Amino acid sequence: MSTGTIATRTEFAHSAETSHAWAQTMAMSKRSIIAIVRQPALIIPSLIFPLFFAALGASSFNRATQLPGFPKVDSFLALTLAASVLQGVIFGSVTGGAALAVDIETGFFDRLLASPTSRVSILIGRLAGNALFGSVEALFFTLVMIPFGVNIRSGPAGIAVITLAGGLIGLSIGGFMAAMALRTGSAEAVQGVFPLLFVSMFFSSAFFPRETMQGIYRTIANYNPLSHLYEGMRDLVITGWSFDAVLKSLLIPVGIGFASIPLALLALRRRLRAV
Amino acid sequence: MTSTSTSTFAHAPATRATTSRAASGLMMRGLRTITRLPSAFFPAMLMPIFQSVAFSGTFFAITHVPGFPTDRSINWFMPLGVLMGSAFAGVGLGFSLIRDLETGFFDRLRMSPAPRNSLILGPMYAAWFRSLFVAVVVAGVGFALGARLTGGVLGMVMLFGGAMGIATVATGWGLGLAFIFQDMRGAAIMQLGLFISMFLSTAQAPLSVMTGWLHGVASLNPITNILRMSRQGFVNHTVNGHTVGPGVTWHDTWGGLIAIVGLSVAAVIFARRGLNKLDA
Repeated sequence: MSTGTIATRTEFAHSAETSHAWAQTMAMSKRSIIAIVRQPALIIPSLIFPLFFAALGASSFNRATQLPGFPKVDSFLALTLAASVLQGVIFGSVTGGAALAVDIETGFFDRLLASPTSRVSILIGRLAGNALFGSVEALFFTLVMIPFGVNIRSGPAGIAVITLAGGLIGLSIGGFMAAMALRTGSAEAVQGVFPLLFVSMFFSSAFFPRETMQGIYRTIANYNPLSHLYEGMRDLVITGWSFDAVLKSLLIPVGIGFASIPLALLALRRRLRAV
Repeated sequence: MTSTSTSTFAHAPATRATTSRAASGLMMRGLRTITRLPSAFFPAMLMPIFQSVAFSGTFFAITHVPGFPTDRSINWFMPLGVLMGSAFAGVGLGFSLIRDLETGFFDRLRMSPAPRNSLILGPMYAAWFRSLFVAVVVAGVGFALGARLTGGVLGMVMLFGGAMGIATVATGWGLGLAFIFQDMRGAAIMQLGLFISMFLSTAQAPLSVMTGWLHGVASLNPITNILRMSRQGFVNHTVNGHTVGPGVTWHDTWGGLIAIVGLSVAAVIFARRGLNKLDA
């Protein structure tokens, strides 16, 4: 009887702890999203920048679509939608990582640690904010490009998959950025990673098809998961609905997340040990 | 009257010497940051290397479009990488200034008797050294990847001149924004501003290959002139859109020089006005 009572109390305490951790995670997510909304100067670039590059590519490379190796498309712009989603979400993730680093720099992170907040909720809350923002960005890019002649051949279901993929990319890339922020505690260092991330997209088929590449570049692009993620989303736009495209769009960011989120948790543990 | 004039004349070299000493000190500090916070500098140095390599590979097929002035994509994209790296070397000094503003170190500099001009010139000198370092490394990687210098030594002079020029412009831009924002919000705008202005030019494709709106914008963008000047040692020379062969020409140089001088003056004034506002 007494053992049963203790077990019940333990279960209750555990359940209450879980409930608190959940509430704290939600509160941290809410804070992260409010922080994004309150600072339009930070989010507008991540929305404008990819559209700018899409317009730039359409004007610079439209004549290249006649070259052998390019899929049949009405314009180069249709090829760039998926690349815009990738760029935008990566940019947004850097902003999210920098915001976490700013929390560390300003001492807010230490105040959170001094409070009875679940440690993991600090990180998960931030990543959840990234994921939501990623989804919003993906939907935004899709809706903006449609009036400019981009026809999403997979229809509304394809748009839903692209939106969901945007959230998953935000979560997975956000994990790397959070790891960097927690490791260095410097917003400057996190910001400095952006160009590298951006350029890493060029080692994929996000801008030109793999069929037009040669040698080592083609080999790297073949192995780069971003190529397959991009091609999944691209096929939803220019070819139509296919199970293969959906799987590529959703499972690849999940796979990246399996690497990045444990890395972020490890960085969090190291920082907590150092405090 | 005479004594005042004499005194003014006596002060001028002294002030110049003080400015120069203070600027040199700040330059050394700017260079030391490379080893003290490598995580902030090296991504900015690696980025142009990756960019040159990645663009050359990704956009390799663009050289097959009729009218493209070289058959080697690295010849087209390596000078862009050098200029981009130099620009980010300059903007990096803006990042450092933001850190100094946030930590209060810059307030201590303002309270010191260091002449105001040295607070601009010091980071500018550091940016030149950083940009030279970046230019040498990126060009070296470009040559290792098969870039072919068709314009001789003058071609390299043009490339390094363009790099130093763009570093000057980027430093002024970075410092000015740092004075305005005084926190890391400014960093995103510094990077974005540079990216946009550089890509609204012939960064990715020559004017003869472009279609649509970008052709008009790139024709007016002074960065196009700087890129034309910097690239001429690596691509075929064109007159009225027709390829006439390799070599450095005054025709492809003067526009770049004017653009560098004009943009540099505007950027330094922007930075100086930002500093004045901070003092007000």
